[in-house]
Amino acid sequence: MSDGLAQPAGRFRAVARETLRDGHVLGAVDAGTARSMHARLAAWDGLPDVEALRDRAHEIRMRAIDDLDALLAQFREAVEARGGTVRVCRTAEEARDYVVEVCRRADARLVAKSKSMASEEIRLNEALEAAGIRAVETDLGEYIVQLAGEHPSHIIMPAIRKTAGDVAELLGRVEGRPLAPELETLAAAARRQLREVFERADVGVTGANFAVAETGSICLVTNEGNGGLVTSLPRVHVALLGMERLVPKLADLAPLLELLARSATGQKLTSYTRLLTGPRRPGEEDGPEELHVVVIDNGRSNLRRGRYREMLACIRCGSCLNVCPVYRKTGGDAYGPVYSGPMGAVLVPLVSGLGRAPSLPHASSLCGACTDACPVKIPLHELLLELRADLVSGGVAPRRERVAFALWSLAWRTPLLYRLSTTAARLGQPLARLAGPGRAWSAGRALPPLARRRYRDRR
Amino acid sequence: MPSRARPVVQLFATCLGDLVVPDAVADAELLLREAGFDVVFPRGQVCCGQPAFNAGHRSAARRVASGLTRAFSRDAPVVCPSGSCATMVSRYLPELVGCAPLDVWELSAFLDDRGASCGRRLEGRRLAYHDSCHMLRELRVSAPPRRLLEAAGATLVPLPRPDLCCGFGGTFSVRQPEVSVALADDKLAGAAEAEALVTADPGCLVHLRGRAQRTGGPPVVHLASALARGVAAP
Repeated sequence: MSDGLAQPAGRFRAVARETLRDGHVLGAVDAGTARSMHARLAAWDGLPDVEALRDRAHEIRMRAIDDLDALLAQFREAVEARGGTVRVCRTAEEARDYVVEVCRRADARLVAKSKSMASEEIRLNEALEAAGIRAVETDLGEYIVQLAGEHPSHIIMPAIRKTAGDVAELLGRVEGRPLAPELETLAAAARRQLREVFERADVGVTGANFAVAETGSICLVTNEGNGGLVTSLPRVHVALLGMERLVPKLADLAPLLELLARSATGQKLTSYTRLLTGPRRPGEEDGPEELHVVVIDNGRSNLRRGRYREMLACIRCGSCLNVCPVYRKTGGDAYGPVYSGPMGAVLVPLVSGLGRAPSLPHASSLCGACTDACPVKIPLHELLLELRADLVSGGVAPRRERVAFALWSLAWRTPLLYRLSTTAARLGQPLARLAGPGRAWSAGRALPPLARRRYRDRR
Repeated sequence: MPSRARPVVQLFATCLGDLVVPDAVADAELLLREAGFDVVFPRGQVCCGQPAFNAGHRSAARRVASGLTRAFSRDAPVVCPSGSCATMVSRYLPELVGCAPLDVWELSAFLDDRGASCGRRLEGRRLAYHDSCHMLRELRVSAPPRRLLEAAGATLVPLPRPDLCCGFGGTFSVRQPEVSVALADDKLAGAAEAEALVTADPGCLVHLRGRAQRTGGPPVVHLASALARGVAAP
């Protein structure tokens, strides 16, 4: 397994089943997603013309994807002119090896990390640990998840499954004393624990929400201020950039930022929107001595041609997770350790290969709520439909399923055969609950009886 | 008598309608007749192919759906008591089969558009209406069924999260049966205050009704049946 994304057939259902038994987690996920959804809707309502803004953002993203090679070259030139380095990594393995190498060269023992889904994707923490380097997450949600030894369950709210009580327990363990499950107490404890990490870290690792080709800037969007400390206190800054997250000009950021904050958290802007351009220059008071931008492909190039390229427009806001009925009942972990909800169900099979995530395109009722919620208008549920067709045409769908649908289509090809086959089905219906789909259905629901007289028999 | 000829509509029963809820299709036919239409039933129809299409089996879907496109005339509207099948036929079928589009309508959208009156058979009933996802998000039909129910005398009890899917989703209901059923439970619980839960889609209907039969819950009724026959008082 070269990345942290793939998962075998059947895993989704098995994990989902466990989550469904956990009322505590379901309650937390339901509350968290509903709150975020309502916040987004209110924020969208506050815009003069949200549809026009969504169209514009879609266009900016798609244009950037069309011009990606040129933009990457321009970005590299701009970063290098400022004294930083850019390394394009084709695979997750290449990316994590490179980051480990940068850390080794810096003699790093402690790495402070700001929130980055790309780092989850390349399983950086495990690689650093294997190299004897301690990596600490400094985004509060990520820190909580790390203390629990788990993976983020939501791309914006990593600790969505945790309640205040859970957090008090986890932070209390570090403090060595029980903590009251109150917001201020917990925030103060986390701040104390993390402050030490900021001060001692040799390397700061961040993601990048966007990068600007013309200036070579990295754009970081955070709410907790940890991004500022991670990028200014340690001597070395490593920024992990998904290769598709480039925009041509600074001005192109404005509509994307307007939509990102509103869609993710309902804010007009997040507390901190940071533009970082190059390492520290002579005369500047802070900033890292070294800046390394790691551009991560890891399968994204597979998407650049054809229908799926629209998925590269994703700005990782989490809106689609918040409205998804299936996410709401599974809380993220069923989708795998990194990307979840509708965006994960589309992205993971595309970057990892359909055969390595065959359940995900079917982890949706195709209700379309995701498509309506996507600020950059990615037709998520239609892409899931396309992926399902690819599962069949690529021979990944089980043979028995393909045979069943082929036989069904032969029987329902003409009204005569349809009548004969459905009469036979009615006579055989008592057996339906014994196996296959009939059994899966009737475990929780009464099977609808086939009518003795079809509607067509009554005309 | 050409001057007195009633306008023609072609009724598309849908496979679930034909096989599982034929009474609802008969009720749809009745409502259309009451509204002044001559209802024809093209006998060549079978299924729109959606079960296979949504599962990714496009050639199987094409084989079944091509029969449907031949069965119906392009000269009169096609009306079906299913938002989901109306979506399949209008949104996906022309491209899948490579045929001329059909003028297809979901039943309540059609009745509402033609200003039909469906009587007052729901006087005093407290009902919840469940939006099927395809009707809500692909056809953008959410007001017409509610208008018809209210015009028939019903009081609508709002569902707590009308935006949430009931969990049917075609083959999703058997691929992820546990999640599917959990979503049905939420939907049924949200309708606990209503005398019946009404939906315009046979798919949602058999799923929600099947679950309600196991766990107890409000009766689940097709929109056409609610309008044509009323809903029994509790």
